[in-house]
Amino acid sequence: MPPRNRQSERQPARPVRPVTITAVVDPVAALASENLDDNLYFYDTNKAAGSTGFGTPELHSRVRKGDTLLWNVIPLECETYVALADIEIDPRIAEPTRKVYPGTDIVFWTAEVKQDLTEPVPYRLSFLLGTVGTPFTPTARPALAGPANEGKGGR
Amino acid sequence: MAQQHGIIVLFDVENALRTRSLDGNTYWFDNMKLLGSVGVGTEQLVTIVPGTHFLDGSQATEQVLNWLPAALGSIPPTVPRNYLAEQERADDRRTLEELAALGSAGSVSDADLKRLQRRVGKRARKSGSGRGLTEAKLLDVTGKTTTSPGAYNYPAPVITDITGQAVSEKIMYPAQYGSPDMIYDGWYWAATVDTSRPGVYPYTMHVQLHELVEQDDELVWQSVDLTCQSSLKIINDPKRNGFTGAGLGVLPLPSVPAAG
Repeated sequence: MPPRNRQSERQPARPVRPVTITAVVDPVAALASENLDDNLYFYDTNKAAGSTGFGTPELHSRVRKGDTLLWNVIPLECETYVALADIEIDPRIAEPTRKVYPGTDIVFWTAEVKQDLTEPVPYRLSFLLGTVGTPFTPTARPALAGPANEGKGGR
Repeated sequence: MAQQHGIIVLFDVENALRTRSLDGNTYWFDNMKLLGSVGVGTEQLVTIVPGTHFLDGSQATEQVLNWLPAALGSIPPTVPRNYLAEQERADDRRTLEELAALGSAGSVSDADLKRLQRRVGKRARKSGSGRGLTEAKLLDVTGKTTTSPGAYNYPAPVITDITGQAVSEKIMYPAQYGSPDMIYDGWYWAATVDTSRPGVYPYTMHVQLHELVEQDDELVWQSVDLTCQSSLKIINDPKRNGFTGAGLGVLPLPSVPAAG
């Protein structure tokens, strides 16, 4: 059994991977029912830090100042098209920029968290679905949240 | 021809590797919420499978299921199938071109060499035994070469078997199909379903995750085999056409195209 390289977790060093926030979207159902909220499922990679609302359009992601965030999208059917069109968030908290995976036109967005949060900060994502030209914005809003209270001493 | 069910399983690979369990670390989806699948987006998906007949009693084809695993926090599956391999080659080509350009320029600075060295990145070997990933360069979650073993993009989980009641009772017949080219990741699991016995039938998915470990100064992909559960719900209802709500037949399109 090889030694498991786990020491880094005990240190206060930043995780090397960004905190990824993934939107799973069923574009066919969203377009057919004209309801994006019911066909949108958010997840992030920070469950261990206390993120909540997994599988809903109101994910609360636990983040800290200096964290790199990455937003991307997975469509429920590979033949269908979904892209993250825009992110609206208080620029004092984060300023997301649009990027593509090198050599493709698949979009992701990244940002750095500028300050530690005491209150959850809701933000808005909008999506392009299928061949419709105007972006869709869900009514429910995900949020960034600061460290959990019980975790404060340890961090 | 009825629509095939796509069942997407999203794995929180980081958490699963830490806890060495898939409990609470899988999210299941199918595209049949319309027909009555429940638990979409959670760990408790029950996939609905209607009967193999239409409203008028005519024979429909058997239901086909396809499973598509994906890793949360990785490069999404929407990039081309061979993206990681292509990206690695393109990156190596660029590095070689720049190296050649450096040589012809006469003086070579240390800084330039260091920069190119970083671009060469690190390669991870496959582990000595068993099934695993092919040797490949490390890319981070944005598709760039990385030398940091803590930043690598988690490879997509690999389904190694599907077992359980739904299989042992011959409700479904799963098998692995596709191109045996591991670099291009061409394998997929599919099944056909016997819909003559309605009921709820659980099944177990056997999944291999991959963890990068340092071993004798080398990076090696270590496979971690785990299992997770889901269910099929076979019902007697006839298949429905998603457009008409009825069986096969003409779609509700106007017989004459609208003027304009």
